Amino acid sequence: MGPLSVNELISENTNLFLAFVIGTAFGFVLESSGFSSSRKLAGVFYGYDMVVLKVFFTGAITAMLGLLFFSLFGWVDLDLVYVNPTYLTSAIVGGIIMGLGFIMGGYCPGTSFCGASIGKIDAMVFIIGLFLGVSLFGAGYDWWEKMYLAKFLGSPKISESLGLSDGVFALLLILVALGMFWAAEWAEKKFPREEY
Amino acid sequence: MKPRIWLALFVIPLGLIIAAVPQNTSHPYKLTASQLLEEVNTRTQFITPETVADMIVKKDPTLQLIDVRSQGEFEKFSLPGAINIPIADLLSEEHSGIFDQDAKMNVFYSNSTLMANEAWMLTRQLGYENNYVLEGGLNYWFEVILNPQEPASTSPDEEFAKYDFRKGASQALGGGTVSAQTPETNSAAPKPAIKATPKKKKAAGGC
Repeated sequence: MGPLSVNELISENTNLFLAFVIGTAFGFVLESSGFSSSRKLAGVFYGYDMVVLKVFFTGAITAMLGLLFFSLFGWVDLDLVYVNPTYLTSAIVGGIIMGLGFIMGGYCPGTSFCGASIGKIDAMVFIIGLFLGVSLFGAGYDWWEKMYLAKFLGSPKISESLGLSDGVFALLLILVALGMFWAAEWAEKKFPREEY
Repeated sequence: MKPRIWLALFVIPLGLIIAAVPQNTSHPYKLTASQLLEEVNTRTQFITPETVADMIVKKDPTLQLIDVRSQGEFEKFSLPGAINIPIADLLSEEHSGIFDQDAKMNVFYSNSTLMANEAWMLTRQLGYENNYVLEGGLNYWFEVILNPQEPASTSPDEEFAKYDFRKGASQALGGGTVSAQTPETNSAAPKPAIKATPKKKKAAGGC
């Protein structure tokens, strides 16, 4: 396999160990950037702190450019990169539930563990809720199986459905992201909060 | 300068470059002959009829059955939900989207496994994943799913569990002879055993 594919070169256990190291580093960076504060995270809904939006879009365009350039150089085969399959109905319903949980709890799953690790009680309660939700979903799977699997679309790409090449779509997304950063900083000035 | 300006100065030129260059559509990491031989030896391409029957009954949306026999044979009999791609048309442009994807599990079948295996080898050589072969082909399917034979009374319990599953699947998929007999000979529950469907081993990400 290619230079960047470590599958089958390293053992499953080494893989898990590397995942642990990378995960720890990720959690550390998340915490030190303030992502363990539910007020900071909820700020994206009220406009006073848009750091979540900025971080995730910067991450997305960095990864996107990286993959496209690596593919251009022949370092990765994009067809071997796993794309989460789309089940439209469950994506919409799940997105609504996730958004509601986000604004009510002030965390998303990853950051709740980040908050809990520095002893935040609201984050721990959030994690309990997370496990309750997962158990409920599993216990009632028969009831929502139909909806869960409805509108299966495979792994479509936005660039394909728009009829654009990946590169042109990437450029558009970069411009949109930069526009959003500009709007986000405008919002931060418009809805400032002294302390949070 | 603001960080936003720095970021823009860095990513906009990169975006312009990537928009201007042609896309790399080659697949540099095709299977080598020895890797293919390894897969053939370990028989990883085969999916048992039980697994396929289970997925059909559960209406698993990730299953895509592909009949590689001729159109005439396909019209005479085909498995539920199967599409017909005769092996002669395998490489035509219009079908490449079916094979070159990451979401569905393609299962090739023919009367035996010969043609299905040929189709699997071709798609595997092209570097496509998620292509499998129905073990034993339609002949074996008829034998074990549509007309399952009751195992001898001295058989181990697993044989009976397998038989119960096959009988259940046979009823669900419209097997001929089973409904005619009264299935009261066995004390075990007639409910088909739930079998785990093979999941892809790739990791999924999240927030």
